[in-house]
Amino acid sequence: MLYWLGRRLLTSAVTLFGVVTVTFVLARVVPSNPAAVYIGPLARPAEIARVTKQLGLDRPLPVQYARYLRNLAEGDWGTSLATKEPVLGGIATRLPATLELIVSAMALAILLGIPLGVIAARFPARAPDVLVRVGSVFGISMPVFWLGLLLQALFSGKLGLLPATSRLSLETSVLHPIPHLTGFAIFDALVGGDWSGLRDAATHLILPALTLAAYPIGLVARMTRASMLEVLGQDYIRTARTFGLGERKIVWHLALRNAFPPTLTIIGLSFAYLLTGTFFVELVYDWPGIGQFATNALLNLDYPVIMGITLFGAIGFLSTNLLVDVLQARLDPRVRLT
Amino acid sequence: MSAAADWASAAAAAPEARAGVLRALRRDPVALAASTLLALVVLTTLLAPVIAPYPGQGRGTADVAARDLAPGAAHLFGTDHLGRDMLSRVIMGSRPALGSAAAVVVLAVLIGVPLGLAAGYFGGKVDEGLMRLTDLFLSFPPLLLAMVIAALLGPSLVHAVVALAISWWPWYARLARTVAQSLRHAPFVDAARVFGVRAPAILARHVLRNALTPILVQATVDAGTVILAIGSLSFLGLGSQPPLPDWGLMVSDGRTTVLTEWWIATFPGLAIFVVALGFNLLGDALRDVLDPRSGR
Repeated sequence: MLYWLGRRLLTSAVTLFGVVTVTFVLARVVPSNPAAVYIGPLARPAEIARVTKQLGLDRPLPVQYARYLRNLAEGDWGTSLATKEPVLGGIATRLPATLELIVSAMALAILLGIPLGVIAARFPARAPDVLVRVGSVFGISMPVFWLGLLLQALFSGKLGLLPATSRLSLETSVLHPIPHLTGFAIFDALVGGDWSGLRDAATHLILPALTLAAYPIGLVARMTRASMLEVLGQDYIRTARTFGLGERKIVWHLALRNAFPPTLTIIGLSFAYLLTGTFFVELVYDWPGIGQFATNALLNLDYPVIMGITLFGAIGFLSTNLLVDVLQARLDPRVRLT
Repeated sequence: MSAAADWASAAAAAPEARAGVLRALRRDPVALAASTLLALVVLTTLLAPVIAPYPGQGRGTADVAARDLAPGAAHLFGTDHLGRDMLSRVIMGSRPALGSAAAVVVLAVLIGVPLGLAAGYFGGKVDEGLMRLTDLFLSFPPLLLAMVIAALLGPSLVHAVVALAISWWPWYARLARTVAQSLRHAPFVDAARVFGVRAPAILARHVLRNALTPILVQATVDAGTVILAIGSLSFLGLGSQPPLPDWGLMVSDGRTTVLTEWWIATFPGLAIFVVALGFNLLGDALRDVLDPRSGR
């Protein structure tokens, strides 16, 4: 196990090195002048020359690459051309808002997706199954940004039930700010005993989290259904039935345990989807997270931020894959770690 | 992934099995409904300028007198901020949407399949190198690499297509590799080699033919995702630029006024959804027929 983990970590590190190289190459081969972007639209040639030197863009590419690697290792991920803040710090301050979204969407996907899949597999080709199958295909076919706008139009525009945008109401953020502990609004409000703040943060979270969860709910439900159907057809389930075990116990205990590993893989994939799905949800709901940071950078060609977020996303993706593999092995002794 | 390998072996089987697949599909009501839906969409795409009530507006001509009209008899889907008929815009938008999705898949196949065939056939170092390369490309969260490439190339539909193809080819490379691996010592391949046929010719004439069906299946399964991906890039402003009729761009156009003029964002998004749904349903049906384990 340790040997396997060591090798996995090593290959991940090699891949990560490749990722860093890809981001560097991408940002350097593209015809646009970072120095000009850094200064802004009123740049004069002399200024551009000065900033080019300051950013080290006049050096040969291998030298720039070596410097980029060294800086990354030292925790210096560059400075945003647009906001002039350090990239790593910019990611860190926005991370709690994004994690709040991703974690709630993931929780929805697991808490709704798995039971829906199990129920569908329990009544194959009958009403619940058809509903779940249709619903899950709908979920994975909807453009996430469109779903977000529809929910906004319905729940805030038509019904006036929930706020349409942002993370907190102005009243809360300006007049009664939630005491800052971790940056996770809900957690901070809970710990600080700020009940009106908690209510405000929760109502703002509902729509974005639901929007982001639609796709993973669909994925998880259909995968759970498929693997449950396979497991329910096996001999040991029939044996359990002949022994007169209750159907509920058979389905939720005996079968689900063996149907879970494929679902876990899909949960890992869903997480990867959420990493970029949140870009769109944050744009639609004006949610101040990493996604907004990223989309602004993409549209303004803010290279250091683009490179930083790409690297950050790849790290998140690689570690999820690693975690899923480890969990897989713990859950299923038949999985051989090679 | 592993499912792809399953179809690869299932679909690389004999031609009679392929005929059986078609027959099974024709009996499946979902597959039938999805194919009908997609046929209608393709028909709309082909006849777009004829069907669109205001083809000029569909292409981008403004009509400022008729701005932001709610759906009604004259404009079934309403009009946008520049007074253009949304129904015409949505109909005309089917062309760039389907055209670019097809282009992405074709490009990804053209890059991925030759590489994958070569890797699977030759094995060894070539194979190892290619697999590491696909690993690298697949270690970015979906869409992230495409978004970055599209942004760096400068926003346009062509660049979005190129960006998506660059991040999509590894899937096809892996699929083609699986087929080539399973066939590299098949009797007819060995026979061709004995007769002195060179490797490129063997790959093109004998191995590729067997890879076509799984590639076609994979392309169908992927098409829905590609449509969504293109819509997503356009929505961010990394695809088509105004005044082109592009579904993602139109949704983005109606984003800020969705609480009042809901129709501007709703109908183009609905179009993306319907096309993606059609492909996903058809892909599901294909998968069910080819891989009985996926359960029915």
